[in-house]
Amino acid sequence: MMTMIILFMIASILFAYVLSLKEPKWGAYATLIVSLAGLVGVSLLRGSVGETVSFYYLHFTVTTIGWYFSMILLTVYFTATFFHPFWMDQLIYPAAYNALFLLSLAGTVGLFFAQDLMTLFICWETAVWSSMLIVQQGKSRQAAWVYFVMSAIGSMATLFAILLTIFMSGTTMITDAFIYFMGSPALGGLVFGAFILSGLTKMGIFPFHVWLPLAHGSAPHTFSPVLSGGLVKMGAYIAYLSVAVFPAYQVFGDQLMLQGVPLPIYALMLLGGVSIVYGTLRAIQQDDAKRLLAYSSVANGGYILIGILMLDQMAFAGGLMHVLNHAVASAAAFLAMAAVAKRTGTTKMSELGGMIHRMPVTYVVYLIAIISMAGIPPMGGFVSKWLIFQGLSHRGLIFLATAAAFGSIGSYLYVFRPLSAVFLGQLAPKYEKIKEADPLMLIGMLLLTAMSLLLGIVPNVVLRTIAQIQIELGIDPIMIKGTITATQNGSVNMLSVFTVFGFGFLLILILFLVLPKSRRVGLMDTYTSAEFIHTPELLHYGHHFYAPFERLYEKWPSVLPLYQRLSLKLKEMGEWAETFFFHAEPNRAVFWMVLLVILITVGGAR
Amino acid sequence: MTLMSFVYGFLAILGAFVFQTSLTGINRKVTARLQKRRGPKWYQQFIDIFKAFSKSSITHGWVYDFGAIMALGGIAATVIFIPVAGFQSFPGLDNIFVISYVLAVGMLGMAMSAAGSGNPWASIGVSRALTNMLAYDIPFMVIVFTLIYQHQTGSVSELAALQQGAGIWGWNAFQLPLGGLVAVIALFGMLGKKPFDSFIAPAEIASGPMVEYGGKQLGMMFTLHELMTFIEVSLILNLFFGGGETLWVYLLKYAVLYTFTNIVSGVMPRFKIDQAVTFFYKVPLGLALVQGLLVIFGGWGY
Repeated sequence: MMTMIILFMIASILFAYVLSLKEPKWGAYATLIVSLAGLVGVSLLRGSVGETVSFYYLHFTVTTIGWYFSMILLTVYFTATFFHPFWMDQLIYPAAYNALFLLSLAGTVGLFFAQDLMTLFICWETAVWSSMLIVQQGKSRQAAWVYFVMSAIGSMATLFAILLTIFMSGTTMITDAFIYFMGSPALGGLVFGAFILSGLTKMGIFPFHVWLPLAHGSAPHTFSPVLSGGLVKMGAYIAYLSVAVFPAYQVFGDQLMLQGVPLPIYALMLLGGVSIVYGTLRAIQQDDAKRLLAYSSVANGGYILIGILMLDQMAFAGGLMHVLNHAVASAAAFLAMAAVAKRTGTTKMSELGGMIHRMPVTYVVYLIAIISMAGIPPMGGFVSKWLIFQGLSHRGLIFLATAAAFGSIGSYLYVFRPLSAVFLGQLAPKYEKIKEADPLMLIGMLLLTAMSLLLGIVPNVVLRTIAQIQIELGIDPIMIKGTITATQNGSVNMLSVFTVFGFGFLLILILFLVLPKSRRVGLMDTYTSAEFIHTPELLHYGHHFYAPFERLYEKWPSVLPLYQRLSLKLKEMGEWAETFFFHAEPNRAVFWMVLLVILITVGGAR
Repeated sequence: MTLMSFVYGFLAILGAFVFQTSLTGINRKVTARLQKRRGPKWYQQFIDIFKAFSKSSITHGWVYDFGAIMALGGIAATVIFIPVAGFQSFPGLDNIFVISYVLAVGMLGMAMSAAGSGNPWASIGVSRALTNMLAYDIPFMVIVFTLIYQHQTGSVSELAALQQGAGIWGWNAFQLPLGGLVAVIALFGMLGKKPFDSFIAPAEIASGPMVEYGGKQLGMMFTLHELMTFIEVSLILNLFFGGGETLWVYLLKYAVLYTFTNIVSGVMPRFKIDQAVTFFYKVPLGLALVQGLLVIFGGWGY
């Protein structure tokens, strides 16, 4: 089965490329069918945990966690492909886009099933390179560069950790190799730090977040959901490997313990906390809806990192579930924005408004997505955030809990802004004639909406898999009884919450219908303090939505200038090094050539 | 979950509405006496609400109505979750995070409805309300985290029951005095009482979330305000003032706590919204963190 899926993926990449060369639209439909087939194929692997497959130097194995992550990624990729047929004419290289899209999919799925470290690295790089080449097809080439450089920093560190691990332990198999460091804290610390770095850069944890808003903001609209909902989650998997498979808690066992967490891991969690606060504050400031969602991904990456690093009954389960919840919600929100951008040509919130009157279904998709993203019941996002909160308060990690609370309430502010500025408010006359998104796009979005809702009402469907993962790791699993989700310090029954909520809604609906009917008036028919305003644009509130709050921190320093200075210095150093080898006069080049020839001759003689 | 649970839930909503609306009416009189006026009749608030319900109204589109229904529906559902003197219509649903986040459904609905009216003043009002929420909720959440850590339970009714039986010194407000202070200050923010009322103040009626409302929608918003007040006061009462052993004790304590906030509010000036944020992040958040650190690392309260 596993072999078939891998071969199918590779074959489909070539097939999609050739087909797209002939007719881009067919290629786009091919990506849809291929990702659906991948989704079905991988879902069938649930029963064959432990199965291994080898292709020359590449080794794969089916694990529960790998299956879980693959399913998330495939869902996001699959729903994004519903948008492809409508975007082919906007891309410069549609054939390359389709092929690279499937290649990055194959890379990520391979990553989650990788059995040895080299396979892991190769799949990682495949996903990074292919996605980088796709980002380049968007609005800005520089964004792709920043994305690539940030990824490269992480990749190189991880490659170093991998090589060191293989050299020291003498094996490449992930589980066997990492056990070696159990007895050597110093070396283990080094490997842990280097290995997790690629996860941190990928998740956009502060201070490696700079690429996220750039890449998400300027990637093709169809790829932003995949970047935020899918590829960023690769980082979560690396974080999982470095704390659950790598014996991090044992390696740091003799370090200073803070409420049961070793100091180095606590420091990483603090970075997660900083990401939550930073991402939230920056998201509140953005005017571009896609950049806003990108910063929200930074904040949510913080939750995921904290949850996974806790490695306990509650927060760990919450972190893993949040990977799914955020993937679904974020993909839906990005897709809704893509649908708006398709009709209006912009994602700037100050230029939009009143879209609900033209695109009501897209509005509902966005609404459900943000309710989940903000962690409000009865959507999936609530359950995972609740578990993280319960875990943090159980351990008494008060500063992280403060950051988590800030990110949670702060998310109401930033998710509400696009809702208000893009979908509600006044409809500008130039958008008077636009239509609802295409039915095919709506199907893709509504699938995600249904998932968000389902994850909130019956979270135990997913938590069962997570409990399985926890049992495999030897930690207390999350307790599941029917529709009740229980932890050591609290329980919740989401189905009842949903029922009670529905009951309340029904009561009020009846009250509303019984009361006298309202008269429908136009949007411009509002109270304006006796001013006469006839232009809807002037009656729309979209600029600097939270001006009084933004003013409090607009002067805070940004890390961006630091990176700019660093890159300038790096460039200068490169130019300086270049002068050793290349110069207008040929002397230097000749010198190096002669030296090289001598070295080869001497070396060859031996 | 039986049919009776729904009946009790309905009665809880009705009871909360009648009790809180009467109390609001009485407090309108209390405020009036503070200002050396006679004040309206104690049932004036009922008259206001039912008058609004009976009037003709306008609508600005389906989201304007849907948001109002979602808001009041969400808040009504939250009332059902609140344990009153240990009684719950649906036992086991009183986790503190569930209550504070179901409350957010109502807030989101209200914000959506207000922004859906197309009036920029309403959107500005909503942005203020949300900013205010970000200010008061963080210190409050820190104290909630501390309580859960200390008692190892997130259930509101259990947290209330744990304080009973040792007189008033058993209350968390006295066991964790800094935390109690923070909670009461946060309550002012939640209720929109002065000095944190810039988003809902009567003087801001023409430039706040309520600007477009009239008729039945306004009546629904009034009702929503009463129910929301009931939820917020009950939450603080259960978490910090021992809830109530019997219904009468509960309602008496409730009336005292609410009247207290109202009297203090009557003599306070008003913060601008950014001043409120700065204040909450300087004083209550600092106190909350100090209290939390004392409990977690200092072993206070064990």
